[in-house]
Amino acid sequence: MSSSSLKKTFQVNKKDFIHAGEASIHIKNLLKSLNMNSAIIRRIAICGYEGEMNVVMHGGEGCLTLEIDTEKVMLDISDNGPGIENIDLAMQEGFSTALDKYREMGFGAGMGLPNMKKNSDIFKIESEKGKGTKVQMTFFITEKGG
Amino acid sequence: MCDPKTPSGYVQFNEDLCTGCAACVRCCPTQAIRIREGMSVHLTDRCIGCGECIRVCGTGAMSAPTSELESLKRDQISVALVSPVLYSQFPGEKPENILQGLREMGFCYVVDMSYFLEMFQCAAEEFIARNRENKTYPHPLISPICPVVVRLIAFQFPDLLSHVMPVIRPVALMSREIRRQLVPREPDMTNKTVALYYINPCPTKFAPDRPYFHHEQPYVDRVLGINDIYAELYRHLSQSQGKIAKNGVSGFSQEYFNYCPGPRSLIWGMSGGEIAGMDTEHTLAVSGLRETVTYLEKIEMGLFSDIEYIEFRTCPEGCLGGTLTAIDRYLSKNAVQKAVLKVGAERRVSRREILQLYEKDWFIPKSSLARMTGLFGIQKPPLSIDSLSEIDRLMNLLPGKNCAACGTPNCRTFAEDVVRKKAALSDCPVFCTRQRKK
Ligand SMILES: Nc1ncnc2c1ncn2[C@@H]1O[C@H](COP(=O)(O)OP(=O)(O)OP(=O)(O)O)[C@@H](O)[C@H]1O
Ligand SMILES: [Mg+2]
Repeated sequence: MSSSSLKKTFQVNKKDFIHAGEASIHIKNLLKSLNMNSAIIRRIAICGYEGEMNVVMHGGEGCLTLEIDTEKVMLDISDNGPGIENIDLAMQEGFSTALDKYREMGFGAGMGLPNMKKNSDIFKIESEKGKGTKVQMTFFITEKGG
Repeated sequence: MCDPKTPSGYVQFNEDLCTGCAACVRCCPTQAIRIREGMSVHLTDRCIGCGECIRVCGTGAMSAPTSELESLKRDQISVALVSPVLYSQFPGEKPENILQGLREMGFCYVVDMSYFLEMFQCAAEEFIARNRENKTYPHPLISPICPVVVRLIAFQFPDLLSHVMPVIRPVALMSREIRRQLVPREPDMTNKTVALYYINPCPTKFAPDRPYFHHEQPYVDRVLGINDIYAELYRHLSQSQGKIAKNGVSGFSQEYFNYCPGPRSLIWGMSGGEIAGMDTEHTLAVSGLRETVTYLEKIEMGLFSDIEYIEFRTCPEGCLGGTLTAIDRYLSKNAVQKAVLKVGAERRVSRREILQLYEKDWFIPKSSLARMTGLFGIQKPPLSIDSLSEIDRLMNLLPGKNCAACGTPNCRTFAEDVVRKKAALSDCPVFCTRQRKK
């Protein structure tokens, strides 16, 4: 009936650990103010957070775009960093090229991409070596929040 | 809107002293204050009693509604329940002397809280250990101690209520036990003749209509801020200096219920003091309002699930930084650290006894906080996607300087107020000036 929709873009920068995660927190609070089911909010927030962290740790300059309409929420996380050479490998649980200093911070379990796939309803990843990476996720808003 | 003189159960407001500077508006973590017609106005149901507005108010227009010392003369059986934070306010003074000073001020009984703090810590350890096995409550568990944190969660992070550890808090354990032990001593006592005074650094513990957490009744009857009694207690201490030293308060007498301050009691008031006394390994202590909010945001996103227990205190440095303390928090922190070096920090309670009580459900409340959500402040009515777009559109028209000149904490909240029809765009002076120039 209504064609309401909302689109918002957030900057995410490489190596910026201080602000990493802020976009996801912002998105989470936006969805909360819409009174969306908390289970779906948590899934979206986790995916956004993992995506942001990947840009910060492995990617380049990037942005996170949120689109909401009455049926779904979409996250698009793109960066112009080094890209992923072997996507199938990167999608495997436990695969990580994270540097030791990031592992010391508690990252680098190689669970980010698999978790994003698990927590989203549609998951797409495109990457080209030297050009960048683009992850797109869709979450359907259902009564019980999926 | 409400009577501005009693903006909420937690804060008192004196309009004659208010200059409309908006310091309180900007600091409020739940955006519960606005300036209207040059004066601050509170949205009562959103106040969580953190005391920040009292802290930042430069004119004293905001204060805490604590009980008056006057009532001490009227109460037949007065009992002082003493938070160990009180000792840190008198660097170098022995806790025993401070308790004796309270007796001289007129309390019939004076009871130190430390023993109950240890009991709580011991029960908390047990709860955490069992939860590790049966996984009934989600990680990280959140300490139920700081009432502001619990209210903040109820109001802004209701999904996290299930993380709040359901163990009855020390002050409630204590008041329950003291009432029980009073019976044989005061055969004629009734609920009317007994008054339990809780002496503590925190304004939030007093509000007649506040929800009781975890069925923590019976609770205290009156609350005194440490700063309410500081001057008089100080006088008693300096007068009786020599006397106490001579007689010595060795072996606690009747009036103290055999609960004396222990070596551990002092650390409690410091951030980290709660978990320092627990043998749980994966813990964190976080203090300060902003830090607390940031952590809660992250827990809500599913982070920190590898941590078992988090001690949150919204006051900086913990309860030593409470709004109603009497001396500077760094001075008292120093006093605590020095005292701990001297006495060490062993535990007195017997683990075996605590476990027996635990089995008898001594520590576990009858109802869960999560189920009590309805008792907490009204949640904001939800917005629609269109109103979110409208807020974004307004944000482009607003200066984005968060100057609070409109009486609202920041531009984003102002835009939301406009969309919710609680404010008019023309309330923004910068917007109006720009319009005129066009
Ligand atoms: N935006 C990106 N740019 C370049 N490489 C990436 C990007 N995102 C992921 N990768 C590569 O894919 C690997 C797997 O990513 P994934 O998020 O699953 O694990 P991780 O980030 O290494 O560890 P974790 O997410 O568990 O902290 C990364 O180690 C990295 O090599
Ligand atoms: Mg990752």
